[in-house]
Amino acid sequence: MRKYVFILSVILLLIPLSLGIVSFFYTPYPITEMDIDNRFSGISKAHLLGTDQFGRDLLSRLMVASRYALLLGTVSVTLGLCAGAFIGVISALSNKWISMIFLRFIDGMLAFPGIVLAMMFVVVFGDGLYSTLIAIAIFMIPIFARLTYSLIKEQQHALYIVAAKSMGLSTPRIVWRHYLPVILPRLVTQFSASIGSAILIESALSYLGLGVVPPNASFGLMLKEAQSFMLSYPYLILPSGILLVITVLGLNLMGDTLNDRLMKLGDTHD
Amino acid sequence: MKEIIRRIVSSIVLIIVVSFITFFMLMMIPGDAVEISLGTEATPERVRELRAALGMDAPWYTQYLSWLTHAITGDFGVSFTYGETVTSLLTSRLPVTLSLMVMAIIIAVLALTIGVFAALKQNKTFDIIARTLMQIGDAMPQFWIALIFLVYISAQFDVFPISGFTPFTESVYGGFMSLLLPALVLAFGMIATLIRIVRSSMLHSLKQDYMLMTRVSGMNPVVAIIKYPLRDALIAPLTVIGIQIAGLISGVIVVESIFSLPGVGRLLFSAVLKRDLFLILGLVSFIVTSVIIITLITDILYILLNKRMRREES
Repeated sequence: MRKYVFILSVILLLIPLSLGIVSFFYTPYPITEMDIDNRFSGISKAHLLGTDQFGRDLLSRLMVASRYALLLGTVSVTLGLCAGAFIGVISALSNKWISMIFLRFIDGMLAFPGIVLAMMFVVVFGDGLYSTLIAIAIFMIPIFARLTYSLIKEQQHALYIVAAKSMGLSTPRIVWRHYLPVILPRLVTQFSASIGSAILIESALSYLGLGVVPPNASFGLMLKEAQSFMLSYPYLILPSGILLVITVLGLNLMGDTLNDRLMKLGDTHD
Repeated sequence: MKEIIRRIVSSIVLIIVVSFITFFMLMMIPGDAVEISLGTEATPERVRELRAALGMDAPWYTQYLSWLTHAITGDFGVSFTYGETVTSLLTSRLPVTLSLMVMAIIIAVLALTIGVFAALKQNKTFDIIARTLMQIGDAMPQFWIALIFLVYISAQFDVFPISGFTPFTESVYGGFMSLLLPALVLAFGMIATLIRIVRSSMLHSLKQDYMLMTRVSGMNPVVAIIKYPLRDALIAPLTVIGIQIAGLISGVIVVESIFSLPGVGRLLFSAVLKRDLFLILGLVSFIVTSVIIITLITDILYILLNKRMRREES
């Protein structure tokens, strides 16, 4: 059963992944090429998924959108992971007062609803690709910081750490050689689970007009554009929405399987 | 009791930290709030005047303290774009948002029964279908569900308005109908997580030794399930309701914008679009403070419930 879920997640993920990779060197049409005579063309031989209100090819736009979704998701969560893990390590290993200040700050960030925090960052940094990326990365920092903090606290009194300390190893070395290998699997699991939610936040921001801006393509942006015409052309909201669901579903399932694997590994170690 | 006081104190600290983060972030905005609000036509004198009038020429920590002391008394300042106080804007929008959220929570709680049945029929068809649907539901962005509802339900059936809100004071039925679809969309966002928690909590209790005991002692299985696993399972979602509330508010912003409901979420969205700083500051502080207080209440409830249960068992 588990094996099939994993295979399914790989198959689902391959769809946006291959579309995104191919989009780097080939799209059926340039994504901004307008063909007003052929707007809302529907599914046809010339346009496999039809065209939008400007006669732009939907398949080409979807390919670029998957590229942006996956790239934005991965890069922002990676940034969040690195910064968050760093802050988590510092707050776990420094003295009581510094650690308390860091923790309060992390808790404060975690109290914000995701979109609210992202919206505030957009107000500060302006909209567009890079500020969306930074906004999502900052949103991820407290999540990873909290996780790293609790993982390190869990291990702090383990024998191998006490032994390493008594050998007089420096703290950075202990973190790098002893803590990191142990906590890394858990961070990776959280990483894969977070990419899905990062993509969902990106799409919601772009949908609200605060994320990726035209003429770029993104799932959320395409749905926003489709909204004005959806009552006459309901089909327009389907392709981008379905591809978005496939992407996030693939990532979530992958995260779940990784998590199960890890739990099993943990059991055999004990 | 000590634990409860500790929670209350740390929540107060958290609220102050959050207000500080919000204030500090909005201070970092490129350009000046006053210049933005006056537009490009403003003369330097006018800018200076307004800045002095708003106390914005003071150092940031003075500004923060004066804002905070006013905010505690419920005075969040005046919105640039609406020309009204933030508090009056907030109180006029709050009823819509609250009724929306309450409806969403009721729908989500009704949906918990799915989790209960899924656990009772573990690995049977019902369980597998429920879990598959939950996985898909988890991956669907709320705004997309909302769009699908609009196209395939609102546009097809006249009973649901495409957008807008009928106040309950005008027509109870109209108000209910205008909130039903948005509330369904909102509930959708929480259901998957809640059902998963209920299901795993049920499974956990069903496997306990005391369930075997009820069998052995010849207790009616339905009564046994209601008395033990179901009770545990319904308390379990309480632990995460704090997190759920934060997610719910994210959803509220999106859903209110799509269905054009005049609530707090749409107010915040328009404030962000217009860079209305005092409004953003006031609304964000209000929202996050509410989240913290709701989390605090559920925490305390959980502690109390746990204590009572332990006492009953011993």
